[in-house]
Amino acid sequence: MRASPKNSPPNLRGEFHRYIALLLLALLMANLDACRRAPPSLVVDSSIVAYDIEQDPNDPQRSIPLHYEQAEGKRIFYDKCIWCHADASPAGPSNRSNLIPQPPSLSDGNVLNSLSDGFIRNIVTLGGSALGKSPMMPPWGNTLNEKEIHAVIAYVRAVAQPPYQAPGRSSSDYGVK
Amino acid sequence: MSAEQMGKVSKHLRGIFALVTVVFVAFLAISPVKDYFSEWKRFQREYVRYAQTRSDTKTLLTSFHSGIDQIWIPQMKVVDRCRTCHIGISDPKLQDASVPQPFRAHSTIPHSPTEWGCVVCHRGQGLATEVREAHQTTLAWEQPVLPTRYIQASCGGCHQADLQQTPRLNRGRQLLSTLNCTGCHRIEGIDKPVMPGPDLSDVGNKVSREWIYKWLNEPQTITDSAGNITVNGYEAKPKMPHFALKQREIETLSAYLSSLKSEPIESHQFSPQLLAALKNRPESISEGEIRFQQMFCTTCHSLAVTRAGVTGVIGGDIGPELSKVGSKVNEDWLIGWLRNPQQYQPHSSMPRYRWSEEDLYKVTRYITTNLTDPGLLSNVPRLSPVDTQEVRIGKRLFSDKGCGSCHTAKAVPRQKDFGPDLSNLGARNISQLEFGKAAIPRTLAAYIEAKTTNPRSVNPDARMPQYQLDRGDVEAITTALLSLTGNSNIPAQLVLPRHQSEFRVGGAFGRLYEQYKCYECHKFNGYGGTLAPDLSFEGSRAQRQWLIDFLKNPRTLRPTLTFRMPQFNMTDDEAKTIADYLKLVSLSPDVDESSADEKQFTPQAAAVGKELYEVKYQCQACHTIRGAGGYVGPDLSNAANWLTSAWIEQWLRNPQALVPGTIEPHRSFTSEEVNAMTSYLMTLKEREKVKEVR
Repeated sequence: MRASPKNSPPNLRGEFHRYIALLLLALLMANLDACRRAPPSLVVDSSIVAYDIEQDPNDPQRSIPLHYEQAEGKRIFYDKCIWCHADASPAGPSNRSNLIPQPPSLSDGNVLNSLSDGFIRNIVTLGGSALGKSPMMPPWGNTLNEKEIHAVIAYVRAVAQPPYQAPGRSSSDYGVK
Repeated sequence: MSAEQMGKVSKHLRGIFALVTVVFVAFLAISPVKDYFSEWKRFQREYVRYAQTRSDTKTLLTSFHSGIDQIWIPQMKVVDRCRTCHIGISDPKLQDASVPQPFRAHSTIPHSPTEWGCVVCHRGQGLATEVREAHQTTLAWEQPVLPTRYIQASCGGCHQADLQQTPRLNRGRQLLSTLNCTGCHRIEGIDKPVMPGPDLSDVGNKVSREWIYKWLNEPQTITDSAGNITVNGYEAKPKMPHFALKQREIETLSAYLSSLKSEPIESHQFSPQLLAALKNRPESISEGEIRFQQMFCTTCHSLAVTRAGVTGVIGGDIGPELSKVGSKVNEDWLIGWLRNPQQYQPHSSMPRYRWSEEDLYKVTRYITTNLTDPGLLSNVPRLSPVDTQEVRIGKRLFSDKGCGSCHTAKAVPRQKDFGPDLSNLGARNISQLEFGKAAIPRTLAAYIEAKTTNPRSVNPDARMPQYQLDRGDVEAITTALLSLTGNSNIPAQLVLPRHQSEFRVGGAFGRLYEQYKCYECHKFNGYGGTLAPDLSFEGSRAQRQWLIDFLKNPRTLRPTLTFRMPQFNMTDDEAKTIADYLKLVSLSPDVDESSADEKQFTPQAAAVGKELYEVKYQCQACHTIRGAGGYVGPDLSNAANWLTSAWIEQWLRNPQALVPGTIEPHRSFTSEEVNAMTSYLMTLKEREKVKEVR
């Protein structure tokens, strides 16, 4: 049995209450505080979260972040497409100005943004002549697989200038509350 | 306790009891409240709210299950709860960039996040259910998420063989090998170069003490943004890193190195007739320059060029830059070196050319006259004569600074394991790293980056020298080092090992293969350089006579190529030996030369083939014939003298089967088309009749 309060001086009993009350209050506060704590915001730097980057063709100061699939597209572009679809190739001069009709530069949004993914996929897979375009564009369907062609399209969309806007709902429809 | 006794309990005590009870009930209630407010539950409620704003709410919510979502990969000892918050990670409907994080789907990757989870690639703490603990370093959770820029490091944990998809990692591994990091550090799986730095046993015969002083003091020419030279060093991109040496150290080291001389060099005696004819002819210098260019020395060596006020180097990086070599080496040494590099340096990768006396004289004159910098040694202080005391101190310094890790010198053995073991650097905890006063984030990636960029930024007393690396190189090396986790949790069946191959041949071909260092640029059966075409199947591709002519007088097949095969001045016999070897050994199992039926190549078929080439398939987009066409593929003007018909047929059927990764697209030609186009290509001969060599 605890010591009877009668045995204790009244002033001491009062302090005892206060201590318990304060202690419990502090515990309560500490716990509630733990619940309320907001998650820390993570540092998001596009060059750190990007798998790879590509230089903006029109603005040397800006780099475009690429995710894995777009970076794969970049690799394939630099291997197979750059020779005719850019103004400089890894070997120096470009084959683009050499061709009639001149193939579009793949970062040229004015030409490519109006083409659907399906059209680009078809012309890459089946070649120019299958779609009534220049036969100089060879078919890549046996050389590249579907995933690789999809990656090239993803890359082209990422580097397009002016930027590419996917058809359908505008991005504001997806807005966060 | 009786009621009477109860009544005696003071009012105060009952008050306390009531209060404590209420507080304890509230206290216990906190536990479910705290759980309700936990981060992952809040994210899951947010997800439900987000799903309700979309038109596909129903499908999204049917596939959503609340609670901790966990992937367990027992073989890798990985527990991954990331999907608890990253709910849409493998839902293709949520791939759009407008989907808020953490709900967005992962972009398409080769390994499904459903199967492998996140931490296998991204690192971080798979078990944690709080944002900070999962992604960052806290007291209890040390492994932070890897910056995505370096994510290829995680591929390297299992894929020890190079992957096409990881260019940054591959480049980093290559740099670790070419910069000879393995000279000082133990690094698992990185190829060791045969001879990283030159053998210095005879360096006193090659260069002067003043030049050594200059090289150790200011190896690099530094240019400011306006194009003005601020430091007139020796090279634009020296391969040797910069050791911050004090003046006294440079003095003693240069004294020691210049004392290293084996026998004195005998000077090469040109015939008196040759000297009489060439010595006082000023044109012999410019003729030497033309010969220098014709021999394609710049395929391996670079020269400084100033264009539009900007100075840069043009040429290859297999050998050293030669812009100022005339002010560096002793002329007698140079002639001896050009005649037989392996005599001075047995492991040198420079081919042994067959020089005519005239060419040797002219090229030497050109190098010692034009490739010079008169002011190169102007700021080297006056060095007193070498005394034995200095040499002794210099020799000790040579070992202390770790020079022996890359260079050999007389009586100084190669030093091994001079620097720390890096085999598990990628798995080090931050508490094991020394950051010094560097103002960088306390992460492993930032540490490796800083250490690679400037070793003294994290440790002022670092013994590691400073390398000249650009941003891309630093990132590549950081990726490769982060991949070295020494992770014993990866089971052996998941590791894709690196294939080591070495292609050494004996006999007559073997001697030529060594003399002309074919493997420095070409690959044979998986071994060799990547600068020039893979020759594993060259015997199936090229005709014997063409090979002989090409070896005697290499011409380029690709108009845009900057690097070309040097002219070795081979003898007829040497060219024949190489061609015969290739025709006998370097064959593709897919090409059978005897199968090609020349009778099928009729003029009619050739006419159809020409039509197909020019109109239907428009091959001229990439290939040139007699000056007209594209620059992408090789010039086909001489195809009939160059290629075997069996190779052309197989190439048209499936080029990637013969040369994996070639740009030529794989088309579906019918066998009639293949025959017609082969017939056409077999009519393409350059006018000049090829001289038959027997």
